[in-house]
Amino acid sequence: MRALRVPSGGHLVVRCVHTDLLDLAFERGTLQPITSGEDAGAMVVASLPGGMGYAASAGLSAPALADAAARALEWARLSVRLGLFQDVDLPLPAVRGLHRSAHARAPLPELEGLIGLLDAESQAMAAAGARIVHWAASARATRTRHRLYLDGDCVGEQAFSFVEPSLEATAADAGRAQSRSLAGQYNGFCRQGGFEVIAQSGLVGGGARVADEALQLLSAPNCPEGRMSVLLMPDQMMLQIHESIGHPLELDRILGDERNFAGTSFVDLSMFGTHRYGSELLDVSFDPGDPTQLASYDLDDEGTPARKTMLIERGILKRPIGGRLSCARARALGHALEPVAAARACGWHRPVIDRMANLNIEPGDAPLARMIAGIEHGVLMRTNVSWSIDDSRNKFQFGCEWGQLIRDGTLGPVVRNPNYRGVSASFWRSLVQVGDASTFETMGTPFCGKGEPGQVIRVGHASPACRFDDVDVFGAEE
Amino acid sequence: MTSSTRRPADALRARYGHALDAATGLARPGEVCLAWVRAECSDFVRFNHGRMRQAGTVERALCELRLVADGRQVRHCLTLCGDPDVDAARVRDGMARLRAALGHARVDAFLDLDRLAARSAHTQSVRMPTSDELVDTVCAAASGHDLVGFHAGGPMACGFASSLGHHHWHETASWTFDYSVYAGGGLDPATGRPARAAVDAALRDKAVKATVGGGDWSAERVRAAIARSITQVELLRRPPRTLAAGRHRALLDARAVADLLEMLAWGGFSARALASGQSPLMRLADGSARLDRRVSLVEDLEGAGVPLFQADGYARPPRLDLIRDGAFAGRLVSPRSAREFGLAGNGATGDETPQALSLAPGTLAESDALAALGSGVWVSNFWYLNFSDRPACRITGMTRFATFWVEDGEPVAPVQAMRFDDSLLRVFGDRLEALTGTAHAFPDTATYDGRAFGAVRAPGALLTGLDFTL
Repeated sequence: MRALRVPSGGHLVVRCVHTDLLDLAFERGTLQPITSGEDAGAMVVASLPGGMGYAASAGLSAPALADAAARALEWARLSVRLGLFQDVDLPLPAVRGLHRSAHARAPLPELEGLIGLLDAESQAMAAAGARIVHWAASARATRTRHRLYLDGDCVGEQAFSFVEPSLEATAADAGRAQSRSLAGQYNGFCRQGGFEVIAQSGLVGGGARVADEALQLLSAPNCPEGRMSVLLMPDQMMLQIHESIGHPLELDRILGDERNFAGTSFVDLSMFGTHRYGSELLDVSFDPGDPTQLASYDLDDEGTPARKTMLIERGILKRPIGGRLSCARARALGHALEPVAAARACGWHRPVIDRMANLNIEPGDAPLARMIAGIEHGVLMRTNVSWSIDDSRNKFQFGCEWGQLIRDGTLGPVVRNPNYRGVSASFWRSLVQVGDASTFETMGTPFCGKGEPGQVIRVGHASPACRFDDVDVFGAEE
Repeated sequence: MTSSTRRPADALRARYGHALDAATGLARPGEVCLAWVRAECSDFVRFNHGRMRQAGTVERALCELRLVADGRQVRHCLTLCGDPDVDAARVRDGMARLRAALGHARVDAFLDLDRLAARSAHTQSVRMPTSDELVDTVCAAASGHDLVGFHAGGPMACGFASSLGHHHWHETASWTFDYSVYAGGGLDPATGRPARAAVDAALRDKAVKATVGGGDWSAERVRAAIARSITQVELLRRPPRTLAAGRHRALLDARAVADLLEMLAWGGFSARALASGQSPLMRLADGSARLDRRVSLVEDLEGAGVPLFQADGYARPPRLDLIRDGAFAGRLVSPRSAREFGLAGNGATGDETPQALSLAPGTLAESDALAALGSGVWVSNFWYLNFSDRPACRITGMTRFATFWVEDGEPVAPVQAMRFDDSLLRVFGDRLEALTGTAHAFPDTATYDGRAFGAVRAPGALLTGLDFTL
């Protein structure tokens, strides 16, 4: 790395990423091909005053990295001439010698043990009867190691261990089908750690429950239609946070970078510090600190040390999700905004963009029983299944796997296809109750998509149960 | 800057093709070894406010190894670096890992490989721009307008080989420039900085979007497309109209129809999804629903330049009928699904996802489409589609780019972003008034897992009604 020639007046930042993964899955009772993977490569970023460029290479030899550096420098020179950064102070890694070990408390069982565990849950789902037409049990374990170099010196090294367990069952009969999963069909229960992630997920012994709930949904009445209260549990709150707080607060969106693809934001630069985003009960943190959450780290891919920061306090919007480059760009436009360690890439082959880390809602003081008791007419909803939101992250429509009616303070029968829609700018102001720590759960998604070229990255969301009033609720077609 | 812009037609094969031979040569008696390689060397350039935002080059080649023995199979994915010695060592390490895992695998009753070995090679050399040529062209054409977009271009390839004797390589180069011109914003002429802070709030989300691309890169095509969009964006500067929720007559441009068709790729034609209650087209497949007789849809791999081989060694049909005269006509059946569900396979890939949907055009001349709409909504694209009721094939999504309210055949106002929620069984069924007479091809611009082969081809559609909700 030291042999790389640093451009005169500029810098070279090299990010090396090594990934190792194991994927196990049973589908409809059959063990799918055991899949392993190994991936390694380097992203070389050349920066000059007023411009930057990148080149990614799977070759890690000195000549391969020198070729990548030369290509990155070509792009950087072009960026100086025709880029957006003439008045922007380009950031460099702000640490030296950082080291983070993977958070893996309990080792995963040997391959045979893990296969047996999934097989048992798969069989439990199949045992629920012939109306279960699809069932799957899977686990993915990924280890990654990141090293960040500035002008040849290693300034940070981090290791991670991610585990994603999943169960899913589909029940079908008479032209109707309903699916139920452990925590969403896109692995909503995913954390850093080892076997304890699987143990805490509910996967062990969860097969029978998931299949039974799919059957309950199949025979359940349709979700009612109308304006009412919704009580969103953490495995739906994670999606609500992600789409209508996380994405709109990404500073690169606000600066317009994503307008051709992922979209813009209803938030603009002038809103920070004053805009009422939600009710006084809403406190939202950017928190890369909890080592078990999916997107915890000590250093982002721009080399910014990570720490917990409040983005929304008592409903007032305080800060965006912006790395140091985005904040420097905002500063050049006259807006002094405090950066967070949000600049990340999904691998060695993609450049950094602004990303959520763990974006969490802080717990309130209401036990679940009190929340239910306070609802006259509403639906409790669990587990996201459908999501759609406009490009400004405002008008949304979300659907859940599981609904239960609440009437006069009592939790009632199951309903299928619970959906609701609203507008971000006003929805969070209808937050009337926030669950206490006993309702708080740590979720996440491995599949947050954004960027050109496209990137899918891991983000974490922890939330208590939350109640919203006067929401537009509806079900499926009869 | 890069001086040569025309690479050898098989540049990626020269760097990565050896991995196929290295892998298949490791098979021992009683073993079958299969290898799938996909590679790209891509220039990625993002633009914002008519200037270059983020640019770079990514060279990446992935190799998926499969080892089959005694009816069991295991899989290992690794990254190639282009150095034959290093890559051969990675393949050997991968194979050793597979042999260690094979003992844990179970007999796979649905494993099916084509034992009839075939060989093919397709390579094509095209002209790509130099970095300066590309960026100079786009920035000059944007000429201070608020253009935001993305160029992705360069060679890409995929190859497959097996110790049974299969050997295929498909390599070409292509480019896409996917961009939007916004009605507000751009650079402040006084400061040269983005002028977005001063943009009228009503214009901030108003844009015209387009995609150009193909084989040989053409500065003239890029310039002409941007100029056309700059002209079109003027309409968006008119005072916007907020649409009332409810049912409205609608004219969907070909891009919007393609967006709807892409939703059917989510398991719609998958034999596995159909057999396991997860397809949105179950009612069409079982005959309880039928589309308008003018709807005929094929998977046109040949027309879209998609490789005609897959990872189990089977040939893929150049064209496959999926919907004919409004009735379900065919499903995508992978070798695995063929075994599991007792169907005849048709060489579908393992995920049974279409890559080249092509909807037959109708008879309404595009020049007559606005007049045929009369009064209603004219939608150029949809955005963020998802199923709101999968068994009913009901989807929700947003209008986003260049959507207008039309009166007496004339666009009178841009429409604020509006949500719709409706069933495709109705949209392409009893609500379909006409399909336009020209089908347009839209290359696959997705880059999440690397650039991809494929395209969607669609005409526009005139609907008697589309249900808008919010």
